[in-house]
Amino acid sequence: MIFRPLFAALAVVALAGCANDPAPNEQMRLTQQALEQANAVGVNADESPELKLAEEKFARAKSNMADQSYKRARMRAEQAELDARLAEAKVLTAKSQEQLNVLNTRITRLRKQLQLGDAQ
Amino acid sequence: MSPMIRGLSCALLLGSAALGGCASQPSSEQALQQAGDDFQKVKEDSNVLRFAPKDVIRAGESLARADRLSSYWGSGSDVVHYAYLSQRYSAIAREHTEQGLNAERGTQLELERQRLQLALRENKLASVQQQGKWVEAQIASLTTQTDRGLVMTLGDVLFDTGEAELQNSASRTVLKIVQFLQLNPKRRVRIEGYTDNTGGEQENLKLSRDRAQSVADLLMDLGVDDKRIEVQGYGDQYPVEANASERGRAQNRRVEIVFSDEKGQLGAAR
Repeated sequence: MIFRPLFAALAVVALAGCANDPAPNEQMRLTQQALEQANAVGVNADESPELKLAEEKFARAKSNMADQSYKRARMRAEQAELDARLAEAKVLTAKSQEQLNVLNTRITRLRKQLQLGDAQ
Repeated sequence: MSPMIRGLSCALLLGSAALGGCASQPSSEQALQQAGDDFQKVKEDSNVLRFAPKDVIRAGESLARADRLSSYWGSGSDVVHYAYLSQRYSAIAREHTEQGLNAERGTQLELERQRLQLALRENKLASVQQQGKWVEAQIASLTTQTDRGLVMTLGDVLFDTGEAELQNSASRTVLKIVQFLQLNPKRRVRIEGYTDNTGGEQENLKLSRDRAQSVADLLMDLGVDDKRIEVQGYGDQYPVEANASERGRAQNRRVEIVFSDEKGQLGAAR
């Protein structure tokens, strides 16, 4: 009778389960990959708050792994992965916009030259 | 208080403390609400569905997970986590969509650029052709068709008496010849010098040749390949007018430029 409340407390702790997840090795690998990919397309942590977040979270996830708090590690790694992917996507969007700007500049210049040609 | 009740309340306290450890973020409801709003926006955008359907699906899955967890007591941090993931997927979907749209716009602009470039090229070509026609017309107005071919006569005003140096006033005509030869790269010229009958025969031959050569030199200086130029001096032969009058003698002091046909075939020298 005396042990029942203790079981209940243990059960609740187990359910909340901060420490009872398996080690998220696959997720850590995925996050590492996402960070590398972001770096490969030229994302800079100084210019991208998303990449900065990703790096910070991944660093914390690594120390969580060392402490064996696997649930925290997994959550942080998951967030870091998407932060890195968003950082990468934003840079690629900016690059595509840059290409459009170049094209637009060229077109404007061509139009101007054509008008000059007509005027002659 | 019975020990059992005391134990239960103790367990409750412990339990909520344990949960509180994970649930550090204040408002899971708010996070869920924001993620829901973001997802709604991307889901309703037909472009997003076209370019980033996978991201939308993932955003929806994470949101559903957050929503499901929100009905469990004490799962606040998980709700916030999956709401965060959902929001990230929605944001990534928007970026991928923007990239897709930009790629489409880029294709359109590239076509437009090529069309304009072509138009400009045609434009320039037309103006070059126009220029070519103008030069040809100029040459035609300065030349006469003879049995030797097209012949242009540079009159005596271009040389001082007894001198072989070309005067500056010749430049304009010579420039036209250069332009004409540039536009007709196969054509060749023979430059023929003539004098009147004053002075000795040998002297006149040399003077006529020197005058022809100074025209040839100028053409070469202006970039005409010397292989395309022949030089010939005829002295006082082949007068075009009687040497009896000053006017006639002036007409006979001349340099004639004979143009080949378009294939570079020159008529035989006299």
